[in-house]
Amino acid sequence: MNLDSIKKWGTRLQMPLILLLVILILAIFQPGIFLTFGNFRSILLAISIYGLMVCGAIYPILLGGIDLAVGATAAMAGAATVLFIVNSGGSDSSVLVGVMAGLATGVAAGVVHGLIVSSFNVPPFLITLASMNIIYGIAQLLTGNKLIPILKPKSFTAIGGGSLFGVPSSIYILLVVATLSYLLLNHTTFGRYVYAVGGNPVAAKMSGINTRGVTLLAYAISGLTAAMAGIVLASMNQQAFARAAQGYETNVLAALVTGGASLMGGVGSLQGGMFGALLIGLIDNGLRLMGVPSQYNGMVKAIVVIAAVAFSAYTHHRDSGLARTRRWQPIRQTENRTARKEPL
Amino acid sequence: MRQDTVRRLVSLALLAVLVAIFGFTTDSFFTPANILTLLRECGVIGIVAVGVTMVIITAGIDLSTGALLGFVAMLSANLLYYGKLPGLVVIPIALVVGALGGYLNGTLVTRLRLPDFIATLSTQFLFRALALILAIRTSTGMISNKTINDRTIQLLGGSVNGVYLVTIAFLVIAVAGQFLLKLTKLGVYTYAVGANLPSAELSGINSARVRRMAYTLTGLLCGVAALFTMGRVGSVTPDLGTGLELNVIAAVIVGGTAFTGGRGDVVGTVIGTVFMMVLTNGIYKYNLPTAAQMIILGSVIIVMVVFDSLYNGFMHRRAVQREKFAAEAVVAS
Amino acid sequence: MNPLLQMRGITKTFGGIKVLDNVDLDVRAGEVHAVMGENGAGKSTLMKILTGVYPKDGGTIELGGQPVEIDSRKQAAKLGIGMIYQELSLIPTLTVAQNVMLSDEVTTAGVLSIGAMRKRVAELVRTYGFRLGADALVETLSIAQRQTVEILKTLNRDCSLIIMDEPTASLSNRESKVLFEIIQTLKAQGIGILYISHRLDEVFELADRLTVLRDGVKVATVERGAMAPADIVKMMLGKELKAVGTARHLHPPSSPVTVEVDHLSRKGLFEEVSFQAYRGEILGIGGLVGSGRTEVLRCIFGIDTPDSGQIRFEGRQLTGGTRRRIMQGFGLIPEDRRNQGLVPLLSIERNVAVTNYDSASRAGIVDRRRERRLGSEAVERLDIRPARPSQIVSNLSGGNAQKVVLGKWLLRDLKVLLVDEPTSGIDVGAKEEIYTRMRELADNGVTIIMVSSDVAELLRVSDRILVFHRGRIHWEYSDGAVSEESVLLAASGLTPEEGRPGR
Repeated sequence: MNLDSIKKWGTRLQMPLILLLVILILAIFQPGIFLTFGNFRSILLAISIYGLMVCGAIYPILLGGIDLAVGATAAMAGAATVLFIVNSGGSDSSVLVGVMAGLATGVAAGVVHGLIVSSFNVPPFLITLASMNIIYGIAQLLTGNKLIPILKPKSFTAIGGGSLFGVPSSIYILLVVATLSYLLLNHTTFGRYVYAVGGNPVAAKMSGINTRGVTLLAYAISGLTAAMAGIVLASMNQQAFARAAQGYETNVLAALVTGGASLMGGVGSLQGGMFGALLIGLIDNGLRLMGVPSQYNGMVKAIVVIAAVAFSAYTHHRDSGLARTRRWQPIRQTENRTARKEPL
Repeated sequence: MRQDTVRRLVSLALLAVLVAIFGFTTDSFFTPANILTLLRECGVIGIVAVGVTMVIITAGIDLSTGALLGFVAMLSANLLYYGKLPGLVVIPIALVVGALGGYLNGTLVTRLRLPDFIATLSTQFLFRALALILAIRTSTGMISNKTINDRTIQLLGGSVNGVYLVTIAFLVIAVAGQFLLKLTKLGVYTYAVGANLPSAELSGINSARVRRMAYTLTGLLCGVAALFTMGRVGSVTPDLGTGLELNVIAAVIVGGTAFTGGRGDVVGTVIGTVFMMVLTNGIYKYNLPTAAQMIILGSVIIVMVVFDSLYNGFMHRRAVQREKFAAEAVVAS
Repeated sequence: MNPLLQMRGITKTFGGIKVLDNVDLDVRAGEVHAVMGENGAGKSTLMKILTGVYPKDGGTIELGGQPVEIDSRKQAAKLGIGMIYQELSLIPTLTVAQNVMLSDEVTTAGVLSIGAMRKRVAELVRTYGFRLGADALVETLSIAQRQTVEILKTLNRDCSLIIMDEPTASLSNRESKVLFEIIQTLKAQGIGILYISHRLDEVFELADRLTVLRDGVKVATVERGAMAPADIVKMMLGKELKAVGTARHLHPPSSPVTVEVDHLSRKGLFEEVSFQAYRGEILGIGGLVGSGRTEVLRCIFGIDTPDSGQIRFEGRQLTGGTRRRIMQGFGLIPEDRRNQGLVPLLSIERNVAVTNYDSASRAGIVDRRRERRLGSEAVERLDIRPARPSQIVSNLSGGNAQKVVLGKWLLRDLKVLLVDEPTSGIDVGAKEEIYTRMRELADNGVTIIMVSSDVAELLRVSDRILVFHRGRIHWEYSDGAVSEESVLLAASGLTPEEGRPGR
């Protein structure tokens, strides 16, 4: 037990403690409603959707970028899957192919984002913001602006609607995906490279890392998990519609930021993201239980995000030795090489 | 030829091509009625775009403009309906509230050091939530869109000799904005802060103040736009202004103001605004679904941002090359 | 007649270290007063005090006989002290006129008087005989032209004293000549110029007087022509301390060639660079900052591509990028270790491992045990303090941070190690450690190519020495004695007594 691990555990415990605090507050003020099984179930159901998105959206954030198109990608993937299943008879095999197709659309979107962001000096938030519009448009074209119901086959509706031992199936999916993402991020070379590129892209390049490939893969993963979330959502609602998952990117962003991820890159953890998702879920739930009208949700989340980002900017501004302003500006290493100042 | 001149020609060319396409493939494009309508549509977006131009020149961004417009409009509607205040009182209040909203953005960015997109994204939720909270409801709690009966406000939606007031306002504001950018100290400092912040500060410029100014001005213009929107539409719903920010950003980018900062002007933004409106108008004439509109809007932004990055990067590399050649070998004896 | 500037007894301490100790300096109107000294001599600090960036701890400053307190940049500008920064403080997307008048604009009732300002700038340009258009966008100008704009800025403010810090570092010979002409014009106007430079050849051509600083102390001020370059160099180095390293016998290597650079050129950076490096040797590359050495290293490491020429390793031409080089046994310790060599928020272990996953992972899955071993091995072998592999790198001292960078490569099957300024900003004890490691590596057969601006270091560590000057290999030392003065002279393009011309 040395100084570093104490520090590390200290930061690690921050989030769970905050969560515990929020839970305690809710438990004290609304014990009757809050501490029921049904309530927990509805919290978990909500979390399972954007929680899935968080599992993949954390990768672009770790690189110092962002994927704002997750909600739109979810809607598009959900629509694609449902349409495919419905139009090919609704057999079990069509479910499998349909899900694959839906996931593929998500990956495709992610790959396009990754390509653009890594090939040009363009700000990821703007690209994915514009892309969000495009993808919602695609979703609308797919669904013809109608609601597309899907009530069978069971193999599909079970994805979002089934349950095992009283726990919704979507939670199991979230757990599996979260675990996989955790392993990817913490136990593979790719995960290590993500932190390296996000922490210092120049040093990463000088260490032989293929920063372009890492970026591409990161956005692809984000697209993939968004697609997963969209498919689960469509299954849960038993319908696909063009404006599904609208506003979820807010929750994802809030979850990641409160979970300790830094928008400058290089800092963040999957556990943190999951805790953040849980926190957002609790906040939503708590506000509802306390009778706060839903309009106030946006305001609360805005304040939460601002507070979390300001806090993280403050702490990391202190620790990191690098000056970070606009990340997508070209790293003008060779070109503007005028003589550097001699120290002293 | 200078870089900004070339870029201006690009914007003009894009507009010309678009006008040609829609002009000749749809009927009733070049009719005075259509053109006046088009110009009216430009108004609201254009007014806000003037402010956003300044913000983007400082290498910032504002994603909260639509929500701020909606909030100011809703607040004004409340004052008119519940507060029974006359239009002449509500108008200055709207402007002040708008400016305050912009100032909030500026403060978050300069004092709390939040990245601009996060700050304005957050304030977008904030303003939108406030608009929802303030929504005028019927006794059963449903959101109603009571018509605005105030004469002054209604006047704003009117026209003079067929030219809509909002268009005139847009032109006046555009001229003022261009004047500000090119003929005042604040304008020069805006470019300086956006092009090279450290150099600007070394020269004694207070970059924080310049940036706050840009955001505040944008907020004020959102207030102006809100008033005109109320005049034109006649009622206020909480989702007023949704999606405005992307249209504004598209207009500004098409017009030549690059994200990296330090470049562009209001003239370009005017061209860009007209471009976006012709595009919207054309899509409507072609009877394309709204989905197409969304896809095209997003694509325009991505294409223009990528183009600017490539073009500016290319010009920068050329300048560096020229420099190397002119240096005639840092070498040679 | 009062001198333009009189600094007396200037002292400045930073964290217990006396950076300037009782320094006197005066500048007369219309003179070029050069300030020379090694890295760490205190030149930069002295200038920062003059321009109001740092407050002085002791001493007095007088301008034109009047005592002044310079407590801010604005104050310095008001007092008529102008500075031409190395990094240049211009706004690229604005015009020359706008830049010159920046924050000094002329307005009538809040509106910029564009015509008046343009006229004033055009006048200035004409008076001083510059070749610049007032409406040219700064981003289209060359560095030399931008520098002229900076000078115009100071002239616009009627500066009586202009400080130039290594102004010719990025200029060609031709452009430097133009700058010298400009300086003559400035002199004729009675402006005093403080000229900081490493370049002996220039200083000797330009300066009316020359002051040498060493370790924060003023060694001497000499008039033009009073001393020969070699003597000046001796003063900069100081005879007593450096006696140990002044003559070092270098031996020609007797091992095979590993890296061969053949007529490598990159327009504007370096030209026709050819040399060989041998197995087990430490090849030192000296020269002034900006002479192209780092750029050559970057090409060897595959980060940049040369315009022409070849690089061969063990006889075969090198292709591909950085990753390929690393797999072939190359490593690079970059000159800016914090911004290029390390990921600050990661631990020692993770930083060291980042180049070693070919041995610490299987099929993409990280072998945690091997990874940890890499970290602990690096900490142990290099004696990194604090000795915790989980320590975040951003909190390490310069020396320990450098050891971590070294650790990235040390644990590999290294064949060629490229090093750029190995010990800049590192304390003496850590320096020695790094030298020892390098020697160890070389003795084990690694080829080390080391770029250094520290002449003592070059002599200490290198087996052979190449000296760059303005992008070419100017001088070479491969056997026989070499002295520090000799290397410094060569770095300035002059002809020393020992060694021989580069190929």
